This record gives sequence, structure tokens and C-alpha cells, in this order.
Amino acid sequence: MPSGRVDLAGATDQEVVALARHGQETAYRELVRRYERPIFSLVYRMVRDRELAEDLAQETFVKALNAIESYRPEFKFSSWIFKIANNAAIDHLRRRELDTLSLDGSPHAETPEAIEATALQIGDRQETALEEVEARELGGEIEVAIARLRPEYRSCILLRHVEGRAYEEIAEILGLPLGTVKTYIHRARNELRLSLAHLKQ
Amino acid sequence: MNRRPDAHLSLDDLDAWLAGHLGQSEQAHLDACDECRDTARTERILARHLAALTAFSPSAGFADRVMASVAVPDPFALRSMQSARRRLFGTRKAIAAAAMIAVVVLGSMAASVGWSLSHPQAIAAAGTWISGTAAAWAWGGMRALVSGIIQQPWYAGLREALGSPARLAAISALLSLAYVSGLFALRKLMAVPSGPVSHARA
Repeated sequence: MPSGRVDLAGATDQEVVALARHGQETAYRELVRRYERPIFSLVYRMVRDRELAEDLAQETFVKALNAIESYRPEFKFSSWIFKIANNAAIDHLRRRELDTLSLDGSPHAETPEAIEATALQIGDRQETALEEVEARELGGEIEVAIARLRPEYRSCILLRHVEGRAYEEIAEILGLPLGTVKTYIHRARNELRLSLAHLKQ
Repeated sequence: MNRRPDAHLSLDDLDAWLAGHLGQSEQAHLDACDECRDTARTERILARHLAALTAFSPSAGFADRVMASVAVPDPFALRSMQSARRRLFGTRKAIAAAAMIAVVVLGSMAASVGWSLSHPQAIAAAGTWISGTAAAWAWGGMRALVSGIIQQPWYAGLREALGSPARLAAISALLSLAYVSGLFALRKLMAVPSGPVSHARA
């Protein structure tokens, strides 16, 4: 049985998880300390809203830590928690997309004019969101270019190049075949290269 | 697999180039192909920009907010459960006894369900008898209780006292006052002392 005197800062994730499973609150806090920045950064770059990202990151940790008994130590803890975080962010983006689609016009509008009059301008919404992004801390050119990527590409590129995860681990986190992950990263890099072509000079 | 000499570098090749271990034939292609050299250069710039991105921190108190919603198991309860489990399932004899109990419990449950399904009339008759008897007992009990109260010597006085609205209001006010005073007294008795207590030991 793990002892309570293990140096948490030098312990592996698996050791910290084992201590958490034995009811050590400090071990839970250590897991939060290790992963709060990477998880929050990933979710923040996915949803581009600080408050919402904080809620989703909190939801991720609460879900993971309350289900620590179901974590299988043969997998990396980082893959497990990134998977939960990515699912939370993607679920949120999908829900938001559904909300946006439902704003295509009143279901009661019968003429094209009425549909147009009751619809929200989706193009305007995206522009506004990006302008808002530019105005805040995600405002660097590269951040804006990342924000323009499809969410699937965004997850892949962030996990690969910001978090430094291997292709195999990304495939495990996202539940995608390795080939698909490589294709997504390739496409994302092409899009980023095009967006940032002027940086070459 | 051999690559065609004129094939451009793949994503894996570019990754290998960024990591500094590009194969010989790929390196030869890169040296000769302006397009791949340009792509590789842009890849390097992009990878540097991505790797240099800031890691964001959540607001202060994030860990506390997380921990407020996490149910940390009680180590003492966990240890007790583990030792109980060890005691219960530690030997073959204990496992055999637990398995026997499980078989007996599950067997009786199955027999009970089977009997109930094959004797619906008997169950319906028992239900009717139980509900009829229970209703009769409840009614009898209620009557006995009310008769008992009416026959008490203080009943006439109580009825007289509650007879007028003014007296009823006065009694209610008195009772409420007594209740509130009782609450305050209880709170004072249970309050944690703010200063040192003379008889307490360090």
C-alpha cells in the first residue's frame, strides 16, 4: 500500500493516482496542480471564452477525480484527463453549433422574407467572435489562425504542437484512427501555413 | 518502402526533418526541391510559434473550487473496508461460506418469485385480508384514543380555555414566547466559548 510520506512532486502520475485512491486529499490536489494549466489552456483555446473554459476545465477535473476508481493505470493519466477535457469542449462546441443552426429563422415563418427577417446573421456572429478573440489574450496572429481551424483539427494541432503529445497518444485521446489524426494534423498545418504565410518574411 | 525520387516530403518526413533525423534519400530530395525546402522552412517557423504559445492559468482558487465538488474517500473507512474484505474473503472457507449464503439468498428469492407467479389468487386474498384488518385496527385505535382524551378530567377545562378567540390568541402568544425563549437558551448553551474556559486544561 502506498505510504503517505511519498514525495508527491517527484512521484509519477500513477503513484499519485494510487495515493488518491487511498483517500489522500493532497494527492488529488497534486493532480489538479499538475494538469490545471495544460487542461485549461487546451479548453480555453478550443472554446475561446475564459469563463466558459474555466467551467469546462473544472467539470473535467471533477469528473475525472470523482471517477478515479475507474481509471485504468495501464493507460497514461494525461491521456485520460485530456480525453475528458477534449470531450467536454467538443460537446460544448457541438451544442453551440446546434443552437446556432436553430437560429436559422423562425419555424413559423412561411415566406422567404419572414425567414430572413427572423434569422440571425451567422456570418456576422463568426466575425464578431473572432474580433472578440483578437481583442483579448488569444489575440496573437497564431491564436487567431488556430481559432479559425475546425474543432477536430484544433484539438489535434494543440495536442501535438502545444502539449507535445505523440501521434499515438493523440489517437487514443481523441478516439480516432492514427491515420485520421495524421491527416487532420497535416491539414491543420497546411491551413495554418496559409494563414501565416506572411510570417516567413 | 522505397520512395520515388521526385515525390515531395510527407508529413512524417517533415516531422523527421524537424526532429533532425531525416533519411538520406529524403534529405537529397529536400536539397534539390525548392517547394519542399520552402514548406520545411515554413513548418519550422510554425512549429516554433506553436511551441512558444503561452500556457494559460485558470483564476486563483481553481483547485479549491474543484476540490469542493470532489468526494475524497475517507482513508479510515477505506482501510476498514479493505480489512473487512480481507477477513471475509481471505480464506477458502470464508469464500465458500459467502458463496453458500449467496446461493441460499438467491435461491429463496427465486423460489419466492416462482411461488408468487403460480399462486396469484392466494396473494390477492391475503392482500384483501391484510388491508381489511389494518383498516379495522386503525379505526378502533383512533376511537379508543379520542374516547380516552374526552374522559380525562382536564378535558373540560381545556375546552373552556380554548372556547374564546381572545383566550386562544393569548395562549398561542404565550406558547410562542416560551418556544422562542427556549431556542435562545439552547443556542447560548451550545455556543462555543470565545474566551478561555477556567476549568479547561491546556
